[in-house]
Amino acid sequence: MENKVNLTLNGRAVSARQGMTILEVARENGIDIPTLCYLEDFSPMGACRLCVVEVEGSRTLVGSCHTPVTEGMVVHTHSPKVLAARKILVELLLASHPDSCLVCDKANICELRRIAADLEVGLPRFHARKHYYPVEDENPHIIRDMSKCILCRRCVIACKSAGNGSMFSVAYRGFESKVVFGCDQLVDEAAVCPDFDGCIALCPSGALRKPVKIGEERAEKALIIKG
Amino acid sequence: MSEKGISTLGREGLILRLKEAQSKFGYVPQEVMAELAQSLEIPINEVYGVASFYSFLSTRPLGRNVIRICRSLPCYLKGAQTVIEAVEKELGIKPGETTPDGRFSFQLANCIGLCDQAPAMLINQDAHVELTPEKITQILRMYK
Ligand code: SF4
Ligand code: SF4
Ligand code: FES
Repeated sequence: MENKVNLTLNGRAVSARQGMTILEVARENGIDIPTLCYLEDFSPMGACRLCVVEVEGSRTLVGSCHTPVTEGMVVHTHSPKVLAARKILVELLLASHPDSCLVCDKANICELRRIAADLEVGLPRFHARKHYYPVEDENPHIIRDMSKCILCRRCVIACKSAGNGSMFSVAYRGFESKVVFGCDQLVDEAAVCPDFDGCIALCPSGALRKPVKIGEERAEKALIIKG
Repeated sequence: MSEKGISTLGREGLILRLKEAQSKFGYVPQEVMAELAQSLEIPINEVYGVASFYSFLSTRPLGRNVIRICRSLPCYLKGAQTVIEAVEKELGIKPGETTPDGRFSFQLANCIGLCDQAPAMLINQDAHVELTPEKITQILRMYK
């Protein structure tokens, strides 16, 4: 029999299996914590920090995707402190993001945009230097626009786990960090992968997308953005 | 090999061998990265990711001498900006650039651990401390 852990989640007593993360327990209990880097079935990266929650007795907010639950833990997933932190995180992500939702190919399914809307981020308060990288659209299977990349690293992990080595890695450091192909080359016609769709589907922004031919139906279902 | 495709030793070996290439060629040429990737059985983008992360490894050719001025707070407060400007003026290049004759590359670095003698800079392996704009001409003259 697995060990049970009892905790308090948003004022409600819940029990969980030992080893589960706060995020998993919350989702199991129908509580929606936004995430941008988390991928089910992979070890958590803890890159985006969007999943932070308040744990009573903890000095700082903790990342729920990589923090296991413990006995007696008291967790608040949507306290004012948490919501304020999440909102600022998204604002900071958007500070160096191109203002192009209006013409963005993935606007209908963009997780970043949906989360920004859900958190009522509103018009930008912060403005940072934007990254401008050329759109890589030579390959028939994938279009990369690294100006829109939020460095969640999902594509890196997805590619690695696809089993044929990894095409993408994070290079450079700090603000210059970038997901690169080869030695920071453009993804050209010659680049092949049996499963480009895997990383494209996981990319939470418009940084990776599928070339759509004129007249072709879009496969993805639109995200519903709360009004 | 671990399940992630990189053994711990492989990764350690990678940094060591990148450092070797750096001191042999003054930078890490792409051919070397390709060879390393092949021998360690990791993708070349992985090698590039590591090589481009460290400021003491360069993926592009540098000048014969590399100047690194600290741009962290203690040096800044002690007037590093005036030193940076003095170097710019002396060499006619901005941080990130190399002189056309290949004599100097000029970079800004984060803390180099010489805060007590700020402002400080490294030229190749040599530390120069308590800098003033006036000292720059003389120091640079020592490097051919
Ligand atoms: S990636 Fe998302 S947030 Fe960025 S421009 Fe496209 S729709 Fe907007
Ligand atoms: S390309 Fe997309 S999936 Fe990859 S790191 Fe950037 S935002 Fe994340
Ligand atoms: S989802 Fe937890 S840090 Fe990104």
